[in-house]
Amino acid sequence: MQISIDNLQKILEKAIHSSYAEARYQRRVRNEIVIGNGEIEEAKSTRIEGIGFRVLLNGAWGFSSTNSAVSESMIDAIDDAVKMAKISATAQKKKTRLVETKLSNGVFKPPINDSLEDHSLEEKMTLVRKTELGTREYFDTVKAASCSYREIIDKKIIVTTDGASAEIFNSKPEFRITAVAARNGDRVSATETAGVTGGWRDLFEKRSAEEMSRKAAKTAQKILDAKHPKGERSKVILDSGMVGLIAHEAVGHTVEADFVLSGSIVKGKIGEKVASDLVTLVDSGFSDIVGGAAGTILVDDEGVSAGRTVVINNGILESYLHNRETAAEFDVETTGNARAFEYSDEPLIRMRNTYIEPGDYELDEMIQEIDHGYLLKGPRSGQADANGEFMFGAQEAYLIEKGEVRELLKGVTVSGRALDVLQTVDALGKEFSYDIGAGYCGKKQLAKVDGGGPYLRCESLIGGMQ
Amino acid sequence: MRISENELIESCKLAVNRAIKKGADSAEAYSVSSVETEASIERNDMKLGKFHQGSGIGIRVLKNRALGFSSVNMLSREEINESVDASIKIASKGSYDQYNIIPNTKVPQKLSGIYDREAQDFKSEDSVKNAVEMLQTARRYDERISVDNGSFNNSLNSIAIVNSNGVECVETVSSFTWYIMGMAIDGKEVSSFDFQFGGSHHLKDIAIEGTARNFAENVVKSLGSKKCQPFKGTLVLSPHAVAELILPTLVNSVNSNNVQKGRSSFAGKIEKEIACKELTITDDATWSDGLSASSFDREGVPHKKLDIINKGILKSYLYNTYTACRDKVNSTGHASGDEESSPGVGATNIIFKEGNSSFDDILSEVKKGILVTRFSGNVNPVSGDFSGVVKGGHLIINGERIHPLRETLIAGNIFETLFKISGISKDREKIFNIFAPYIKVEDISVTSG
Repeated sequence: MQISIDNLQKILEKAIHSSYAEARYQRRVRNEIVIGNGEIEEAKSTRIEGIGFRVLLNGAWGFSSTNSAVSESMIDAIDDAVKMAKISATAQKKKTRLVETKLSNGVFKPPINDSLEDHSLEEKMTLVRKTELGTREYFDTVKAASCSYREIIDKKIIVTTDGASAEIFNSKPEFRITAVAARNGDRVSATETAGVTGGWRDLFEKRSAEEMSRKAAKTAQKILDAKHPKGERSKVILDSGMVGLIAHEAVGHTVEADFVLSGSIVKGKIGEKVASDLVTLVDSGFSDIVGGAAGTILVDDEGVSAGRTVVINNGILESYLHNRETAAEFDVETTGNARAFEYSDEPLIRMRNTYIEPGDYELDEMIQEIDHGYLLKGPRSGQADANGEFMFGAQEAYLIEKGEVRELLKGVTVSGRALDVLQTVDALGKEFSYDIGAGYCGKKQLAKVDGGGPYLRCESLIGGMQ
Repeated sequence: MRISENELIESCKLAVNRAIKKGADSAEAYSVSSVETEASIERNDMKLGKFHQGSGIGIRVLKNRALGFSSVNMLSREEINESVDASIKIASKGSYDQYNIIPNTKVPQKLSGIYDREAQDFKSEDSVKNAVEMLQTARRYDERISVDNGSFNNSLNSIAIVNSNGVECVETVSSFTWYIMGMAIDGKEVSSFDFQFGGSHHLKDIAIEGTARNFAENVVKSLGSKKCQPFKGTLVLSPHAVAELILPTLVNSVNSNNVQKGRSSFAGKIEKEIACKELTITDDATWSDGLSASSFDREGVPHKKLDIINKGILKSYLYNTYTACRDKVNSTGHASGDEESSPGVGATNIIFKEGNSSFDDILSEVKKGILVTRFSGNVNPVSGDFSGVVKGGHLIINGERIHPLRETLIAGNIFETLFKISGISKDREKIFNIFAPYIKVEDISVTSG
């Protein structure tokens, strides 16, 4: 498909009577290798290409997309978008406005160390095969394993009738290894992941494939002998992955402005104290503090530069996350959070890299000050509600007694109301990392996001079997 | 214009012929075309009208029994050729796997009841009308209702499969789906979140009012929630909670791929007792009311009804051609997935057999327990351990609803829970592709913050 900024600008002229129109061309290649127990479960290459048109007419949105670059098809698609906007306008009560903002022009590419395209399919397949096999060889109890490598390579062109014209490149690889340990009918699993924005070297910068494999096998083996915790409210130390997940799921979603308008728990709380003084929570399109965060976008899907947004500043709620529409409604600047996963998706308010800033504690000091509590590492799946009530699993949960880390427990969950929990934060570690970049966030469509932070000490509810 | 069934078949043939010409031992092509309109609501108002027309083809090739797969969302000859060549390149780097075969099955009988001619004439305006009506129904129920989002969708999907063993099939399915999601807000109190959804293949079966009312009732009832003291007692799971808590682990465990890869607790348990004898579950893609109904699976293997659990006894795993070949059995027609992946294994429509008691009778039998409307939490599908938050739950004492609950956690093990079932309701609810009853289970740990 041969598409240029000029092409798209010409097509947009067809959206007559509209107050705003945007065209987003996207070409996406996804490659994936999955090997389980020595067998190739998936080895594939997928490609999508197309253009999504969004039109604002009579204060209502219409959207349409096409996978054809033939100009008649593109004209049909923009006509459909205009038609859908007209129909929507008949039913919509409140008219949509967009905030004026500085729009991006030019070519945008995040830092990429060692391009993925310079590594052959063979090399990637060999690494996945070797890692999966190696995982099953560490311990007799590790009976099964699976390993996957996935990469997304994107090119986008975004053009709007009010001046954006940006060409955007992106590269997001991820690596995942799961070990399953079994004994006497008990089966447990442990997963280690890496996911970044960048190249081959960026993916394995923090840990090599072998280190992740050894860690997964060792953790699965240890969980096999672990007992369940008893339910209680307790002091807990969360690792960067757990902090990232809570920052994203339990706080981040509640500050998405579309969610705020629907009545989320933080509605009307700008300027109020919502967390301990120690907490500064940020959502950024850049990979702040350390490189390679998977949610990195330099320009959002409305053509707005995607900067750093301080959501909570030393405990005070400072900003929501906006697109151009909600920014107009709140009479603030947009924060560049409009994102669409594929050309056929309309942009929605989505997070990027969501994190809590580090403090000045060593992990050992944080542990020493706890008489009875838990150290939780490695987030497992979880969910959060509109009122900030959340529940997440931890892959590893260690009991802390009298300032020392004791035995590992399994099946542990941490839950509470996010803002109540953040009020109890009394220590933040020095170390910082992003740790949830291998996953995706789902809100009608997928988005590649990341989250992180330092070790964080707070009070929360620990769940498990009684 | 929408791509015709014939054009889809021709695209598949083009791909399969090229693959064989380029050196594949066998090949399969799966192509789709879809037209979809969506009217979405947000923040108690109409939000967006969306129209999408799409297509795509996924090509699976085997070369010396090594797998290669590639897909592209365009159906021109050049794009298909390029994609075929990519799949051959992948297969040539892969490794020999004796179970890699492409099926050779008879042409499936066409399932009726999954395509409504009237769906073709359904207008974008009608989608908007339905979405707005659903919103208004919920808002009329109680002024405290706030609808965060929802939508009404109408789609026509055509699927064609051709392989080098002579399989050739094509089918078009019409679907109407809708959902509504939000909460009730009373002063400073925000209720538990709830979402309800529905779907049908036929215009006449669109039932948005019921969905909107269930949603509204749930969120209003969950206002005024309180915590409760920890206890061990009874849970009454709603059909939604059954779908969220019990079903994912069961489906994971009967998936033959997981069984073979050591990721299922049901390995070696065929014909063994895995649940109380009241529990009978079938997988049936020929149940045309279910939204996963179709004549054939992702590989063109005909669908048929399959007993999974009969009176507590595990009867069968779900197989596609690959996993069936491994276990030296026949595929059960459970190849799953879309054009962007090679076939996996998955369930279709899951149907729980109805029990003997009414929902009211089941509730009246509870001495101390919780009615769980929704479950949100962690279930380890391998070990069966679960732990999570009860959403829209109610404390039940001596059969009476005492008050709605918040910050209430339940924990246990799914496989043990299957033996603790003490009641299954006659009343069942259709949730897209699931037909589930209320299920009462005993002896579950409840903790609270």
